[in-house]
Amino acid sequence: MKKLRIAGLMLLCLLVVSQLFAAGAQEAVATEEVPKGPISVYSIMPEKYATKIFAAFTADTGIKVNFVRLSSGEALARLIAEKNNPQVDALWGGPADTYEAGIKEGIFEVYVPKQADKVPANFRSKDGYWTGIGIIPLTFLSNAKFLKEKGLNPPTSWNDLLNPAYKGTLQMADARTSGTATERIYSLVKIFGEDGAFAYQKQLHQNIQLYTKGGAGGAMPIATGQAASGVFYIVDALDIQQQGYDLVISYPVEGVTYGVEASGIIKGTKNLAAAKVLMDWASSSRLGEVMVAEMINYIPTRPDVKVTNPALDMSKVKLIEADTAWKGEKRAAYVQRFIDDVIQQ
Amino acid sequence: MSDFTKKKTERTLMIKKDPVLFSVLVAVWLSFAIFIFLPLVKLLLVTFFVDGKLSFANLSNILGRPYNVRALYGSLILATAVSFAGTFLGYMFALAVTRTSLPKPLKWLLSAVTILPLISPPFTSSISLTLALGPNGMLLKAFGIENLNIYGFLGTWISETLTYFPVAFMVITAILSTMTANLDDAALSLGASTRRMFRTITIPLSYPGIGNSFLLLFGASLADFATPLILGGHTFPVLPTEAYLLITGMFDIKGGSTLSFLLLVPALVVFLIQRALIGKKSYVSVTGKNGARSDFARLPKELSVIITIVCTFVVALILYLYFIILWGSLVKVWSVNNSFTLDHYRYVFAHGKKAITDTLTIALYSTVLGSLLAVVIGYVSQRKKFFGQRFFEFSSMLNYALPGTVVGIAYIIAFNERPILLTGTMSILVAAYVFRYYATGIRSVIASLQQIDPALEEASLSLGAGSVRTFTHVTIPLIIPAVLAGMRYIFIHCMTAISATIFLVSVRWTLLTTRILESMTELQFSQASAFSIVLIIIVFAADALMLFLLRLSTSKFNRPQETSYAIVSA
Repeated sequence: MKKLRIAGLMLLCLLVVSQLFAAGAQEAVATEEVPKGPISVYSIMPEKYATKIFAAFTADTGIKVNFVRLSSGEALARLIAEKNNPQVDALWGGPADTYEAGIKEGIFEVYVPKQADKVPANFRSKDGYWTGIGIIPLTFLSNAKFLKEKGLNPPTSWNDLLNPAYKGTLQMADARTSGTATERIYSLVKIFGEDGAFAYQKQLHQNIQLYTKGGAGGAMPIATGQAASGVFYIVDALDIQQQGYDLVISYPVEGVTYGVEASGIIKGTKNLAAAKVLMDWASSSRLGEVMVAEMINYIPTRPDVKVTNPALDMSKVKLIEADTAWKGEKRAAYVQRFIDDVIQQ
Repeated sequence: MSDFTKKKTERTLMIKKDPVLFSVLVAVWLSFAIFIFLPLVKLLLVTFFVDGKLSFANLSNILGRPYNVRALYGSLILATAVSFAGTFLGYMFALAVTRTSLPKPLKWLLSAVTILPLISPPFTSSISLTLALGPNGMLLKAFGIENLNIYGFLGTWISETLTYFPVAFMVITAILSTMTANLDDAALSLGASTRRMFRTITIPLSYPGIGNSFLLLFGASLADFATPLILGGHTFPVLPTEAYLLITGMFDIKGGSTLSFLLLVPALVVFLIQRALIGKKSYVSVTGKNGARSDFARLPKELSVIITIVCTFVVALILYLYFIILWGSLVKVWSVNNSFTLDHYRYVFAHGKKAITDTLTIALYSTVLGSLLAVVIGYVSQRKKFFGQRFFEFSSMLNYALPGTVVGIAYIIAFNERPILLTGTMSILVAAYVFRYYATGIRSVIASLQQIDPALEEASLSLGAGSVRTFTHVTIPLIIPAVLAGMRYIFIHCMTAISATIFLVSVRWTLLTTRILESMTELQFSQASAFSIVLIIIVFAADALMLFLLRLSTSKFNRPQETSYAIVSA
């Protein structure tokens, strides 16, 4: 009787454990054997946009996309950790310099999409590791009520942000976590030179209320009046403005660099054919058209797609060219200098 | 026979004498090997092996940066401050519930409100705290305060104290309500004032509760990364957050894990202090021969006034913070268009259904498996003597002591290849939860066993029942309340955890908490609030169910001190 009970108990434990392992094994086998779709994707692009874009892709091609949204740092950390047995077929969205960092870790597959030649050369990887899907310049975003109360004009120069009237009211991203923040540093380096850029940021530090972890983190506080102004990618600035908040978007006369949102295939994918279809689709004019129709505020990489939103008309904005390979090369050094010179002063 | 040789023969005879204990130990050690040591060792290899050679270059590199050293101090200062403030608040609330003549519904309200911060994801309260006390915050405006900088130590400290003091409250309540009131009576009848009685009897007798809660809060604060991430700003770095930033921001897994391993040092110290303070003393109060009980004496008047003020203030603050979240979930656009809408809830149920069912499924699996393991481990390490017992107990807590993000990374590295291929499955999430959060169950079982006189089990054994029959017929019924209490906290943790799961969610398995964080980063404050409210309601409902079972089980065995089994250890 006693032995029987022990045996039963152990059997139960065994059953539960084996069930768990079996579940794991089955799920793994399932993805191996399906030849075409569904594909799995890590999306750095926000979920609300990715949902709409992938829905259009599935409607066009019949390939279903399962995805999970991660920040660029989390996505890259996972892709590196999973390198020996990739869990996804493609990486979608996120700044191209994240991809450059990934190339060094050997996580991307080379693939030049069918219509890649229609995408300008500076919006895609030289060696075919990634292809640009959207352009996002930096911009200033300010709380209209704050500007009115202080009698300020919307900032139109980087130096305007140094005005003591902004003391303790600026929120912008932390270079250690955010691609928006490193983009800000690239812009400043192109304008003021390297030493000038960090001297500027040291001075700007007096006006900083908080360095946020995410690139868009400061947008909501500025919208609700917690903070006054900050530097953002246009896509985040427009998104919060379109929610109905009283905000002003302005550009500096010295100019801004822009981020290239990219996409690429993960090396070792089990759905290579289907992943290639996604890359082909992404470099066709279809993607740009979907973005315009769904009010997703990236500027399409295909010059032949007509942008209807006047806020995305870049003809009056000074855009500064910054090579993605250069960004990838300089990133770590600039972030370290940001910690040493700016944050710790 | 000398003590030493006696021990030795006992050990060699264990297979024959107690085959059940032996096989249980083998099974548990095996599970430790797979789910605790394997990931840890693989991570250590990644961290300290450069090109096939052992290298501590990472360590000196990391410690060479003054900012990281500041983070180490920051962590220790914060953890100490949170333990002090949290234990103080917990003690005030515990006194209010056990020693005052407040009407029952009001006491129930106190307990219900204090559980709110515990069952909501940490960052939701952080966000509403910035809306209330941040720059241009609503509370600051209401009171006309200017220039209060919440980012940094102050905000992190307030937020973590609010989040973790409920743990202190529960630990101390359990101790206060199991004290015998006879001592109070004796003191008063010998002519002591209530003030003297409180100082010389109540406080010294609650030392175990105070010590336990202090150490638990210390550990919880040490490993928390979400709160400082939102409220720490750049002036106040702490270790878990810096580790996360290194891994995700600088793509430096080596550096990030090195920083996290630093956290093991204070964690080990905390564990040893806990053993030294709590482990050796006797707190037996369930002996099978309890006499009649009288009521506790009243508190001194000044103390009652202080308690009333503190509790009212804290309850009002908590209610206010959660009211912000509720309000945010019910208006069209936060602070711009305040008209009422249920759209955000429609969104949650249209797009978040999978996250809700996934989270519930995973939490249920983890709770059941976790509490089974917790009972076995807790029982074995409290009641049995075997080789490596202390190491056994410490090993079981390892995953709990490390920051969640690091456990997450270690799990991907360890379980991404055959023979144990678990990434992308539910099993990896369940395993991470079980071996991280069963800690609360283990502590709860151990605490309960410490109160039960082993004589009860010895009686059963000497009457001829075997060790298994004694376990199932005497021990289990006695500790069921503690098991259920442990289950409650495993479940709550599984529903609200975020740190480890950021690296473990997959395209097939998503979680509510990551959806909330996602909504926050996508600037969808209202949707994030709606998700949070739904999560809070689910956990409240499940918690009420388990409390009900707890009541049922305590009344069935007619326990004299029902409240003592609300003992919780986080």
